[in-house]
Amino acid sequence: MTFSWAAIWQGLPYLFQGAALTIFISLTAMLLGVILGVLIALLSEVPSRGIRILIRAYVEIFRNTPLLIQIFIVYFGLPQLGLKLSPFFSGLSALTLYTAAYNVEIFRAGLEAVPKGQHEAARSTGLTPLQAAVFVIIPQALRVSFPALGNNLVSLLKNSSLVSTIGMVELMFVANDISFNNFRSFEIYGATAVLYVLLVLALTWTLSTIERRLLLKSGR
Amino acid sequence: MKQAIIQFRGVNKWFGPLHVLNDVDLSVRAGEVLVICGPSGSGKSTLIRCINKLELIQKGEIVVDGMALSDPATDITKLRAEVGMVFQQFNLYPHMNVLQNITLALVKVRKQSREEAERIARDLLVKVGIPEKAAQYPAQLSGGQQQRVAIARALAMQPKIMLFDEPTSALDPEMINEVLDVMVSLAKEGMTMIVVTHEMGFARKVSHRIIFMDEGRIVEEGEPQAFFANPKEERTRTFLSKILVH
Repeated sequence: MTFSWAAIWQGLPYLFQGAALTIFISLTAMLLGVILGVLIALLSEVPSRGIRILIRAYVEIFRNTPLLIQIFIVYFGLPQLGLKLSPFFSGLSALTLYTAAYNVEIFRAGLEAVPKGQHEAARSTGLTPLQAAVFVIIPQALRVSFPALGNNLVSLLKNSSLVSTIGMVELMFVANDISFNNFRSFEIYGATAVLYVLLVLALTWTLSTIERRLLLKSGR
Repeated sequence: MKQAIIQFRGVNKWFGPLHVLNDVDLSVRAGEVLVICGPSGSGKSTLIRCINKLELIQKGEIVVDGMALSDPATDITKLRAEVGMVFQQFNLYPHMNVLQNITLALVKVRKQSREEAERIARDLLVKVGIPEKAAQYPAQLSGGQQQRVAIARALAMQPKIMLFDEPTSALDPEMINEVLDVMVSLAKEGMTMIVVTHEMGFARKVSHRIIFMDEGRIVEEGEPQAFFANPKEERTRTFLSKILVH
């Protein structure tokens, strides 16, 4: 069989539509995953031992199991317990929980990296613990966390392809659909891979722009 | 005789088995400049950090500006607004410029408007000698400049007491004087200052009283003249001979 550019050309409109859905579910999971990660990371600082154990359990379980299994448990397993979610919401939940677990560790490391002297200086001028956290500590923690967080978000974009397995229509699903029909696997999956590269490049470009404009204003 | 603005009564603190503050009794009057010196590990930094409750004590009483630190009714956040602190490592906020470092607490705690806070901050920058650095970030300043910004940041809150924890110990020698000059002028204005330092020239110039600490205890105290000329205790003499040589 020869290489068919026509197959790619014909498939592209559908692949683009799939890519749009990949972008949509990835961005949503990123946003929710960051918010959830920040909340749980802050929550892990409370004195309550019970809460800290629960958080540790959550982080360990979701970081030590394959994302695919998590997706399957949500989509195939939960209905047995009475909770039936659509492919989209199953995929979104699994992606969010997975990414937030990594974010918790990233943010905790970021918080720990802020020198103790910063807490002391902020509190010694009369700032409340909340004000010190919001204006002095968290901004610095975010700057430290940003590279690792960015990596995690790129992983999320690539991992979103796994939700194709439960029938959510996004880029990977569309690629499968086309190639199962025209058998042009190399062309279609090759083109799909190129699309993923472009999506990742767009994401990393966005992240470094954010880093440069918003975060690295320290005169250096 | 002015009222005591800071009082330590029978203060004891342990870090595990280490007895870092041993039956410390101290009384500081408003407007007094007190210098605390002593060898490493003598408890001098711990002592001043107890004043704004950055360190907790296990035994004894500390009263600051009429408020007992151990009293649950004492709002430590409000008290800290009245007690300024300057740290050995400056501890400026690296993600904010000089002006923002100074105005943050003014806006958030004293509830000043941005314009008023900036006006106060700029006046303080003139006072510490670096008005042109307002828009720069801490990383762009020398150590001496950073420490002067730190002093301005503490002064912005118009505290009743200023604590200095070895303010010049992390500075290159040529920058020490620019910081000490600011502290001297502050002392001459009548600010209550407690300074942990090895800079005995500063102590001689403006302090009302010097305290020598060793192993958690106040070993000797006195007016600078008497302290340097005629130290009474053997340990004081040994310490002074070591640090006054160069």
